[in-house]
Amino acid sequence: MFERALNAFWILLGAAAAVYAWTLGLVSASGPESGLFPLIASLIVMTAGIVLLVRPATRATDPDFPRGAALGRILGVVAGLAVMALGVPHFGFAATGAVTMVILLRTVERTNWFAAIALALGSVVVILWLFGHVLGMVLPRGPWGF
Amino acid sequence: MDALGGLLTGFSVILTPENLYLCLLGSVIGTLVGVLPGVGPLAALALLLPVTFTLTPVGGMVMLASIFYGAMYGGSTTSILLNIPGEAASVVTCIDGHQMARQGRAGAALGIAALGSFIAGTLGVIVMTFFAPLIAAAAIRFGPPENFGLMVLGLVCTLFMITGSTLKGVLMIALGFLSAAVGIDVVNGQERFTFGSINLSGGIELLAVVIGLFGVAEVLANVEKMLQSTLLTERIRNLWPTLADWRAAWRPMLRGSGLGFVLGLVPGGGPVTASFMSYALEKRIADRPDRFGKGAIEGVAGPESANNAAVAGSIIPVLSLGIPGNPVTALLLGALIIHGVQPGPLFMTQRPDLFWGIVASMYIGNVFLLLLNLPLVGLWAQLLRIPYRVLFPVVLLLSVVGTYSANKNVFDLWVMLGFGVAGYVLRKLEYDLAPFVIAFVLAPLLEQSLRQSLVMSPDGAMILLQRPVTALLLACSAILVVLMFTRQSRTEGGSR
Repeated sequence: MFERALNAFWILLGAAAAVYAWTLGLVSASGPESGLFPLIASLIVMTAGIVLLVRPATRATDPDFPRGAALGRILGVVAGLAVMALGVPHFGFAATGAVTMVILLRTVERTNWFAAIALALGSVVVILWLFGHVLGMVLPRGPWGF
Repeated sequence: MDALGGLLTGFSVILTPENLYLCLLGSVIGTLVGVLPGVGPLAALALLLPVTFTLTPVGGMVMLASIFYGAMYGGSTTSILLNIPGEAASVVTCIDGHQMARQGRAGAALGIAALGSFIAGTLGVIVMTFFAPLIAAAAIRFGPPENFGLMVLGLVCTLFMITGSTLKGVLMIALGFLSAAVGIDVVNGQERFTFGSINLSGGIELLAVVIGLFGVAEVLANVEKMLQSTLLTERIRNLWPTLADWRAAWRPMLRGSGLGFVLGLVPGGGPVTASFMSYALEKRIADRPDRFGKGAIEGVAGPESANNAAVAGSIIPVLSLGIPGNPVTALLLGALIIHGVQPGPLFMTQRPDLFWGIVASMYIGNVFLLLLNLPLVGLWAQLLRIPYRVLFPVVLLLSVVGTYSANKNVFDLWVMLGFGVAGYVLRKLEYDLAPFVIAFVLAPLLEQSLRQSLVMSPDGAMILLQRPVTALLLACSAILVVLMFTRQSRTEGGSR
């Protein structure tokens, strides 16, 4: 079911991209325009989507999607990364990274509070020192200066 | 410049304290990446690519290349001691390597893996030293139509080598092209697929795509299953193989070196395919194939040699033609472009310091890796005690740092997350992600070649057939496509 929905999505994506590529222009007197290459790619996506949809033999044999605790762990990691993306511009890498790591260790891994906090702080300090100090990379800072 | 003269130039470039340090650092990181399960060389290269922005192009490329071949050395340690591959090219080493460890011969397995890797890696670089200039000399006469033909053939070969559905591979290539089209068209400045977003006008960031598809997706796959394993904790002894071990292993090592090098050259080949094919070959020609799977040393020596020789082979098309054969070399190509170097047939004549510096560093890197992986193997084995539940949050933090560092743009973090989830789902549905990354990197070059070809031709697309080399390359591509779909329909017919 899920794979059929994905194949339908490929068809829609390919069709929409093809229409958009057409509006960019395909060929002019000076040669190919911006839309030619994306149009070809879009048509391939759309055609492949159609063939995948109508030929069951191309479908994955046993997709084995996660359920229960495994699904919870997956969603925990995705949520953790989303928190990082939302928090980093406002609170900087150090604070957001430490908080996210504690949440991940507590929720995804059920690590005890002390170990989670110690591990999170230790990891963030090492990363800040290695990447920020030794390798000279600019990491986002929060209002408190780190 | 002849090969030996070039190599001397390379050694004069690499034998500086800074470049030697970067080569050693890359070798250590590569081994670490190989040893730790769930962190592959591709994700590591993507994470560390921003670090090289502050380095010279030679220093940066030397470090990235040494991470690539260093991971091939480290991967075997985890396969042998833990029965979990440290990275994909060491999957097959689990079969006999772990059996040897269970029989109390972990030292011999680790020793033969390290020595085989060293011998094959060095042989591969020696052949590369003399072979790459020949390819570049031939390719120097190539114009845009020939480059276009070459890149099409590269993409078709990539499809030919993938496992699973060819159609899904074709779809991944087309999606790679579409994703690469996002941003401003460099030929006429027109915006494509940006929908007015300033974040998209610069295009989709390669690092965010690669870290998402191969770093975040890998973490998601691993936390789903939560790797459980038993580390063989006995003291590792007798690393130097016995005479009997050498007698059994030297032929597989040489065969693995040759096979790995050739498969590395072929787009879509690379270390993973090389190791599997070497194992299959050794098992097929063995006097007693029933020993395989029960601790046969040939099952370790062949694949471990093959995956290291394949690294040298796979670097040749990138440096001499500007064509990557697998996602790791696609990232190396991306790194060269980011450093302002135009890869391709002229690369060797325009930047001999960089080309020969990378080649020379591979000789030195192999020596570093032998030292790191023989006397210090016990140290790496201790790292295997780190549980994955501790490792994965650190990998995620590094993913955020690596992605953000490229452009200092939070939007890239969302792109990384999106590609991570997409990569996880697509892998579940048996989509191979390698063609996507290769197409994503090659698309701008391919489009440019095609457009230049059509602009310079009075007969439009006929130029692709009028130029003999281009016509030959496209004909080969067409034959491969026909073969591929014939094979696919036979397989599907047989399975029904």
